[in-house]
Amino acid sequence: MNVVTRGIKNAIRSPLKSGAIVLMFAISIALILSMLVARGSVLSKIEEVKATAGTTVTIQPAGVMGNMGGGDPLTAEQIAKITSTANVSSMTSTLTDQLGTDDTNLTSSLELGSFGQRQQRFESSTTGATESTDTTTTQTDRPAPTPRTSVTGTTDANSIATNGGELTITNGEAFDGTSNELIALVGSDLATKNTLTVGSTFTAYGKTITVKGIYETGNAFQDSGVIFPLATLQTLTDQAGAVSSVIATINSSDNVESTVAALETSLGDDADITSDAENAAASVESLQGIASLTTAGVIAASIAGALVTILLMFLVVRERRREIGVMKAIGGSNRSIIGQFIVEGLTITVIGAIIGLALGILVSGPMTTSLVSNSANSTTSTQTATQGGPGSAGMRMGGPGGAFRGASAQLNTNLTQVTASLTPQIFASAVGITLLIALLGSAIPAWLTARIRPAEVLRTE
Amino acid sequence: MLTVENVSKTFNTPGGQVQALKDISLSVKTGEFVSIIGKSGSGKSTLLSILGALDNPSTGSIVVDDDQINKLSGAKQTQYRAKKIGFVFQQYNLVPNLTALENVMLALEFGGYPANSRLDRATQLLESVGIEADQQQRRPTRLSGGQQQRVSIARALANQPAYILADEPTGNLDSVTGKKIFDLLHDLSRSQQTTIIVVTHDLEIAGKTDKTFTLKDGKITTK
Repeated sequence: MNVVTRGIKNAIRSPLKSGAIVLMFAISIALILSMLVARGSVLSKIEEVKATAGTTVTIQPAGVMGNMGGGDPLTAEQIAKITSTANVSSMTSTLTDQLGTDDTNLTSSLELGSFGQRQQRFESSTTGATESTDTTTTQTDRPAPTPRTSVTGTTDANSIATNGGELTITNGEAFDGTSNELIALVGSDLATKNTLTVGSTFTAYGKTITVKGIYETGNAFQDSGVIFPLATLQTLTDQAGAVSSVIATINSSDNVESTVAALETSLGDDADITSDAENAAASVESLQGIASLTTAGVIAASIAGALVTILLMFLVVRERRREIGVMKAIGGSNRSIIGQFIVEGLTITVIGAIIGLALGILVSGPMTTSLVSNSANSTTSTQTATQGGPGSAGMRMGGPGGAFRGASAQLNTNLTQVTASLTPQIFASAVGITLLIALLGSAIPAWLTARIRPAEVLRTE
Repeated sequence: MLTVENVSKTFNTPGGQVQALKDISLSVKTGEFVSIIGKSGSGKSTLLSILGALDNPSTGSIVVDDDQINKLSGAKQTQYRAKKIGFVFQQYNLVPNLTALENVMLALEFGGYPANSRLDRATQLLESVGIEADQQQRRPTRLSGGQQQRVSIARALANQPAYILADEPTGNLDSVTGKKIFDLLHDLSRSQQTTIIVVTHDLEIAGKTDKTFTLKDGKITTK
């Protein structure tokens, strides 16, 4: 029997006591591991959120929102500037217009209603309204207002989707955003009203347009519209290169602020730029809250583990003072006695660590999920409160509003979808911390052992 | 030969300084069987721990076979205890989770005895003190007081020490068993020329030793 076997034998001499130490140590190791795992997944999720959520920047001609307002659309030159701006990873350009009864053979599927009539009251009075003093006469002179059909030209038909995801094509197929053919996607309500199917034609701007697909968004306004490839609409409306709205995606939410600043400089007063950076910051902030919570958890669990080990080893050595004294009296060197206690401490901590790591692998998944889903709930309420602004500002075009709603939906899924991932690095950190605690737990008995004087054994108790 | 010259030992206690030993001088020849008697608190155990290099005197010197042991380094004192001294304690002080055999082998390990012959040596030692083969595999708690003291004597003899220091070796035993243990120690001193110093308050035992020192209030009163 040597120092090592004696140490191992001592470690299991009292199964109940050793079992208790092993269990407590295992629990703290499991906690350390789950906290590390949770922290790892949250940190990687933060990177993911930064890359996906709140990275959209909407650029519109100054004074224009949807089909309202005035001023000039964005030009090809301005679009080129946006494209070449650093950190802009992709962009969707749209141009909007409306088809009146003179422009098309389509009948609008929207009733004009009192709202529509009010919106069109100015347009009908362009002739002679200012000269007349008799308001009643003037009003009867105007042609009766008619509902119009909303038209969107876009490089990406999905930008029309109201859920921030892909546009649902119920029949036919989507078009290539770079196309300039005389093709269109027609909203389901409009298609029903005009009995249009895939392959049928209608006239717009004096040209015959072929229906490529029917789409459905669930939004009555959108489902009464027509979507063209951007270039097609630019040609049809004789506005080469004109764009009424650009949604640019930035490669990381960290870069949104600087990119917005760069765009503001290059586009000047000609464009209004709005970004989703604040929403992204809120989401990242809540994730960072969880990240620091888990960091604190790692530290707390490590301290608890270390304290438990040190305290228990301290007690073990204390109650065996006499035994240590005897070993010293019969010629045991400090080195061999300390060695025995270190082996004893390591045996207990290694068994505890193995159980703890196994336990940690089992519980870290559910723990991470529950941590993150709890936080996701609180984030959702913040999002709803702050999101109202642009999305519900009464735009007649859904583009930018859809983007904001999409970002919000994205944030929710981001938070709930954080999965517990146990990477080798995280496992290595857990093992490292465990080893550190084990060594610390063994150093205490070593230090205490060295201090015991052999003469103490001669004291009769 | 063991010589103690002008040894004093003072302890610092919360209640002030306590002088446990006052200017003690004595000598013990090789192979002698010596007893130290005295009342409780007279300094017997303190003297024994100083002789065994478990503690150092405040002043004075202890010379054992030309080595002044109180001047040795800690490591040298450990070696001195392992090779030259065998301790026998009143409470046996066997390591509780080791068997009788393992307790003896532990002393052999500390004394640097070759690993492959420790088992044979320990078995032989235990047999010589009357511990049967099945008892050798038992832990101390499953042995009687007398058996435990025999194991502790076997352990003390493990490295063929020149000196055996016994602190009340029969103190926890009934008179019949106590006598057997005493006889065992006595035989050893005769057969192996081992110097034995026994601390006791049993005057009957003291009367059978070659020499008796009486300690009173830290001083030797009779020789």
